[in-house]
Amino acid sequence: MGAAALMTMSDDAKAATEWAEHFQGNYRLMTPEEKAEARTRLERRYSAEYGKKVTVDGTEAQPGVLMGYALNVRKCIGCRRCVKACVEENNQSRGKNPGERIEWIQVLRMERGEFATDKMNHGYPEGLGIQVGGNAYTPAGQVLEGQYRYEPEAVPEKDATYMPIACMQCEKPPCVKVCPVRTTYREADGPVVIDYNWCIGCRMCMSACPYWARRINLTNPVLPKEEMNPVTHYLGNRPRMRGVVEKCHWCLQRTRKGRYPACVEVCPVGARKFGNLLDPESEVSLILARKNVFRLKAELNTFPKFFYFYD
Amino acid sequence: MEKLIGFTSDYIRYVLIGGQKFYAWMGFLSVLIAAALYGFYLQNTEGLIVTGMTSQIHEGLYFANLVFLVGVAAGAVTIVFPAYVYHHKGMHEVTVLGEMLAISAVIMVMLFVFAHMGRPDRLWHMIPYIGIYNMPGSMLAWDVLVLNGYLLLNFICGFYYLYAKYTGGKVNNNWFMPLVYISIVWALSIHTVTAFLISTLPARPMWFHSMMPIRFIVTAFAAGPCLIILAFLIIRKNTRMWIQDDAINLLSTIITWCLGIALFLTMSEIVVELYARTEHANGLYYLMFGLHGLTSLVPWFWSSLAFMIIGFVMFLVPGIRTNYKLLPIACVLAFSGIWIEKGMGLIVPGFIPTPIGEVTEYYPTLVEVLVTLGNWAAGFFILTILLKGAIGILLGEVKYESGTAAKSGDLAGSSQAAAVGSK
Amino acid sequence: MKKLAFHTMILAFCCGMISSAFAQQQQEITCFESRKGASEVVKRDLQPGWPNVKCSPKTGAVLWWGDPFDGTVPMGDMPLLGNVAPGKAVVKPRSEKLAILPMCATACHNGVGPAFNPPTLPKDKKPKPIPTMVGLLPDAQNLQHGRGRIWCLDCHHTTQRNKLVDNFGDPVSIDQPQLLCGKCHGDKMRDWRDGIHGKRIGEWASTGKKRWFTCTECHNPHNVQDGARNRGFVQIAPESPPQLPKGMKDAKYERVHGIAH
Repeated sequence: MGAAALMTMSDDAKAATEWAEHFQGNYRLMTPEEKAEARTRLERRYSAEYGKKVTVDGTEAQPGVLMGYALNVRKCIGCRRCVKACVEENNQSRGKNPGERIEWIQVLRMERGEFATDKMNHGYPEGLGIQVGGNAYTPAGQVLEGQYRYEPEAVPEKDATYMPIACMQCEKPPCVKVCPVRTTYREADGPVVIDYNWCIGCRMCMSACPYWARRINLTNPVLPKEEMNPVTHYLGNRPRMRGVVEKCHWCLQRTRKGRYPACVEVCPVGARKFGNLLDPESEVSLILARKNVFRLKAELNTFPKFFYFYD
Repeated sequence: MEKLIGFTSDYIRYVLIGGQKFYAWMGFLSVLIAAALYGFYLQNTEGLIVTGMTSQIHEGLYFANLVFLVGVAAGAVTIVFPAYVYHHKGMHEVTVLGEMLAISAVIMVMLFVFAHMGRPDRLWHMIPYIGIYNMPGSMLAWDVLVLNGYLLLNFICGFYYLYAKYTGGKVNNNWFMPLVYISIVWALSIHTVTAFLISTLPARPMWFHSMMPIRFIVTAFAAGPCLIILAFLIIRKNTRMWIQDDAINLLSTIITWCLGIALFLTMSEIVVELYARTEHANGLYYLMFGLHGLTSLVPWFWSSLAFMIIGFVMFLVPGIRTNYKLLPIACVLAFSGIWIEKGMGLIVPGFIPTPIGEVTEYYPTLVEVLVTLGNWAAGFFILTILLKGAIGILLGEVKYESGTAAKSGDLAGSSQAAAVGSK
Repeated sequence: MKKLAFHTMILAFCCGMISSAFAQQQQEITCFESRKGASEVVKRDLQPGWPNVKCSPKTGAVLWWGDPFDGTVPMGDMPLLGNVAPGKAVVKPRSEKLAILPMCATACHNGVGPAFNPPTLPKDKKPKPIPTMVGLLPDAQNLQHGRGRIWCLDCHHTTQRNKLVDNFGDPVSIDQPQLLCGKCHGDKMRDWRDGIHGKRIGEWASTGKKRWFTCTECHNPHNVQDGARNRGFVQIAPESPPQLPKGMKDAKYERVHGIAH
């Protein structure tokens, strides 16, 4: 306690706010006053750290809203603009050393596959002439063979299709269930969020996520001052710290204010759609009503609110 | 109360005073611990980036050792169970040594938890009332509960027994025996819950099967007694403490059975996974043969399998099992085989490929290796002290109102302690 | 000591940056929104430190909009859009970007110009070569759209050549191509109207204000299918791939299929 008093009385405002941050509770359980205080504290620290006016918003979920997302896999061209827009918006670490760059969206490249006539008669096992299986088939549209480091001159490539993934904002999120301190939880309007100040960095949520949506800040995030996005939300894109887990939160700082997520806006082919699942007129509701829709790894009963569809 | 103070001061005096060998051994361990502390400091200033962990493979050496050491802790029950349930005389005399091993192993587990965490400074977030303890949802919360409970049970059972020996009084069986029975079941629970920790994650198909808890328990009941036999043989050789042959033989029998079942389960897994060869078998396939041209775990798997099979055959042959010159070799083989199987062979390939199918490899860094070694050193440091004290009391060298008795036991205690640690 | 040296270096670097910034001040950054060459935007600050767009240094694509409604005008009327409140649907006019558009209707295709007096308007819809047009618009020579089954005046108004044409022969603004495209592509039109097809930025609520991207902002109307590629969207350069995890030297391991028998 003595040390605590000493630290708070020190002139160094940054150290003092950081010290106070150490003792704050779980954001979800704070009173509105405590929440406001925690946000003001962060605003002070971030503004000093990044040399500009940083706001930390705390807009709560609106009643009657359940956010949903739909992505047209037929349209995606694999340009990765969503990946970069996400980084611009959400203040991820962007250092040069391995482990210092975090991206929340992966664009998986999937083979169109080929079925070769010259291999038609190549069965296995070879020898008896009675085939158990064949080799004429090369995997097509394989979901679990993640290839997302493709680097061609231009996309879309002739022999590939693309499937972007990120956090699916499950209705039954396995990551939330395993968290020992409930620092990650589902917000009332749908997204699964993290209180970065409460996370102990145990990484159970990362093991539990079937979509590999979560990232650990292996070191102090590398975020240049001029690139930092000063409009933030406490549960959203505010700068994180070393040792905590982060993930997509559907741009809470934007969506709680009515604006589309950054990835939706940036998609040049309009493959990404976002809206209120409770509103029958919303884009996602109309897609669910009209299009053929599937969810990734639906067999795991995670009930994602992220839907894939095609024309 | 006076007795308790006497016990504490006599115990501390006895374990802290030793010969040259003892101090050399403890000094060596302290150097390793200091190196680990530096590694720990780096991890908490630079971050986990100083380790080989990535967002792809985010559990490595630390978690693997954690899982393995839970098994070692649980393995102590192979002494307690025959001693109190089957009233095995030879075992009964040395039960307390098993409990001391369990205490050290659980403390090591906790050190590895600390090393593993991204924000150890926020551990208090898990403490009920001031933080949030996510019961019953989080399996990790259950694991913390059973591990702390096991530590407490072993501490109470072990030190109460030693205290009774020290004062020359009788053990009050009215509450001691129920505690012992609870601790037996509790030992099963720690490894079961640790197995649940990883086997309840459908996101990781390599771990997601109900065979995991029983496999954890049989490997634990093979690896734990291996370490105990080694310790027993060293104690027999270096101290006046005599451990009966039939106690060691019973432990070898237990190892034989458990190792056999463990190998059988490994075989079952290989057949089931590789016959169907679904994508869910990719982790095992990577471990056994490599995937996408990446094969860094393949030698680990096959050496582990070879160690375990050779160890098992040695345990099967009565001539080797009862030959105390060859028995340590079998024990070392089985112990290291299981350590590899639990560490490199189970935790790491669970992340390869990732849920989106990416195959990457894990290369532990020097910092990681140092912290791991240091945590083991800390465990051996504690184990040496605990065993030294326990043996002193069992031998009657530390007794109530014997005051300076500690002195006479110095040499024996120190040499034994040094030997225990050196293997 | 080390820190001091570091700071000095930063200072020197900053000075260098400032001087080069002065040199480059005149040079403006132009980025493209959806399709290269179709909807381009010049980077500027809306407020100090708050740009209208952030662009990818690698591809020049817009990655982020500071104000989604910057430079937009209300979208014209559209059938079955009664549920969108006035002013909630806006578009970025393309007409001002098309350099020769104002001339189209005055210089040549005014229907009464000296060269066309009496007006030499086509008497039927049979395609015929127009040498001046081919010179101005190379696209027109080998019109891909419709694969030879349509020609210029199926889409462009006969006498008001800076306008498009609807089914009744009435002119349609070049900023409302959907009224033209929807003639044939009814299903796409329907999906676009409901926000399923195409791109929108702004507010996500169904009643919110949105900037609608019109057909021609994403598709090249003269070559929608991009020739033999037969895809509705042209190829573009992708952004850079993710960082390799620690310990991995290249991404070769990604290009192998792991499934063996």
